[in-house]
Amino acid sequence: MRPLTLRRLFLQCSLLAAILFVVVVVALKLGAVPVSLYGLGRDLISVLLHQTKALSSDYGMIVIEIRLPRILLAIVVGASLSVAGTSFQALLRNPLADPYVLGVSSGAALGAVLALIAEPHLALPLWLLVLLTPFGAALGAAATIAAVYFLGRRQGQMDTATLLLGGIITGSFLSAIIMFLLTTAGRDLHGMQFWLMGDLSTPLQQSLRWVLGVGFFAAAGAIYTTASDLNLLLSGEKEAMHLGVDVRRVRLVVYIAASVLTGLAVSVSGAIGYVGLLVPHVMRLLFGSDHRTLLPTAAFGGAIALVLADTLARTVVAPSELPVGAMTALAGAPLFIYLLRRGSA
Amino acid sequence: MALAAFAVPFSGAALCHSQAAAQPLQAPPSYRQITDEIGRTIRVPQPIHRIVSLAPNLTETIYALGLQDHLVGDTDYCDFPAEAQQKTKVGGAVNPSIEAIAALHPDLVLVTKNLNRLETVQALADIGIPSYATDPHTVDAIIASTSRLADLLGAPETGSVLAADLEHQISGLHDRIAALPARRVLFVVWTEPLISIGNDTFIADALRHAGAVSVIDSSQNWPQVNLEEVVRLQPEFLIFVESHYGAAPHSADALAGLPGWRLLNAVRNRRYAKISDAINRPAPRLVSAVEDLARQLHPEAFTEEPQDDKESSKPPALALSKSHVLSDPTAPSKEQPCAR
Repeated sequence: MRPLTLRRLFLQCSLLAAILFVVVVVALKLGAVPVSLYGLGRDLISVLLHQTKALSSDYGMIVIEIRLPRILLAIVVGASLSVAGTSFQALLRNPLADPYVLGVSSGAALGAVLALIAEPHLALPLWLLVLLTPFGAALGAAATIAAVYFLGRRQGQMDTATLLLGGIITGSFLSAIIMFLLTTAGRDLHGMQFWLMGDLSTPLQQSLRWVLGVGFFAAAGAIYTTASDLNLLLSGEKEAMHLGVDVRRVRLVVYIAASVLTGLAVSVSGAIGYVGLLVPHVMRLLFGSDHRTLLPTAAFGGAIALVLADTLARTVVAPSELPVGAMTALAGAPLFIYLLRRGSA
Repeated sequence: MALAAFAVPFSGAALCHSQAAAQPLQAPPSYRQITDEIGRTIRVPQPIHRIVSLAPNLTETIYALGLQDHLVGDTDYCDFPAEAQQKTKVGGAVNPSIEAIAALHPDLVLVTKNLNRLETVQALADIGIPSYATDPHTVDAIIASTSRLADLLGAPETGSVLAADLEHQISGLHDRIAALPARRVLFVVWTEPLISIGNDTFIADALRHAGAVSVIDSSQNWPQVNLEEVVRLQPEFLIFVESHYGAAPHSADALAGLPGWRLLNAVRNRRYAKISDAINRPAPRLVSAVEDLARQLHPEAFTEEPQDDKESSKPPALALSKSHVLSDPTAPSKEQPCAR
């Protein structure tokens, strides 16, 4: 492992930030209504200056109110899933770990579905109601990781195959419960099938945007504080302990923070696969496996990947849309097989 | 005495014999060969005494035809009229229990193509239970399908009266609103994500009969639609279906506060039309939902009815859906002459 220099971290991040910027501009330009780059720039500036009256056209409002929030949502969800995937991979010392594969996304989805079913029956103040779904999802995610973690342990040691099989089986079990709930809870939950496939098209309420933004930075920040410990954990839990890592604490921090990230992502966008699995892989190949650079680059990479996937999802069959989860699987599965065959996975 | 004892079994045997001899002669009329709406040729016993319906719209149609006494089973979703919920349930429309259907010994099972699966039909055929499939894509086809079904089930007179009533109602509507420009509408199936209807659905045709046209041009039946596209197209009205399954995640009124949605003029001006879920079912009751929708979209066409208008302008969705299907077609038929 090369020593970390701030300069290298900065260079890598600016490169990825530049790519993200280009992708976002392209994503802003593509869509149902036409918009020029010049008009786009002017509109963005007038919105930043709170002069919404000065927008270039009616279409400017569409781009600002619908397209831009959706792209921002894709950025945060993509970064969350990717950072959560990186954390799980480090925590479980398994390159195949990811919220989707381990069934954690299904657990979060089940938590969200339960929260949505309970919502009309609870007399809660509005601000709590907004938090209910993300909270349910995070709780579902945390419970699932705990279950998968205990399933994956054998005689006190983590067994990779058992862990992954345990995750896959837990995931299908939880999906079955979701199916049961959706079938019995009445017809109005049927539309959730689309949401379960992964979907970024629903505009978020203002308050939820704050929850998502603050939650992401808090959780990702918490994980980043453990970055160098995660590096040591790669050589094994016992070895890390001998090197002075408080394995228990690191595990707890990463476990909770990654659950929160997964829960937030799933509660606003359903279960989107492959981002948390693939992006950390690609970033490891490109920039090495030092978590101090891997975590931020994975965040950028996840954002880029999901913005791209969502732009395709909303444009390839316009005016209809595809669920973005279908898009990530379509692109992700072949890429994953390629990486697997190359022997790098 | 011995003679009598001899005579009785003999006469019985003779009876049996004559019946057996008559059977081949009676067989052609006791079975009927027909082609259903998906092009399958099926053999149906006549008359039909025991019917199982595997779709809510078909259950409604059976009740509308007054044949409910022959309905021995239906699905979990068959909730209209309310009595239909008391019938023996055979499961959902997509995954009914073949065993439960077989246990009811139906003469005929009714299915509809856009809801039921071909696997169900085949599984029934394998155990010798005939099924008849309907597949209407337009309002006219729904009416035609209803009278064909009436004919098949042995109620041709009721069927033709019902069909005539429905046609009359539709042509009455046409007379009122044909001259008016069609309202450009968005039919909202679901809001998270936004799902609307495609061109080839009976709902799209029902909208046309109500003097409306969907802004969404899609060949899929239930397209997931991009919100940007809807804002660009600016529909004049949003159409919501009132569901008795509890509120959707975002009720129509909450949309005004949502980013994106609030850019729609229809949302800003609360131009919403709310109709009963009869619109979702290709059954005779659909026509009353069409009329209800037409009244909401084109109130100016329904002004010259002093006492009836007041009663049916606001709560007609509920009032009509609760009343007997056959009773409302008569209302517009009385009004129709004065409209012309």
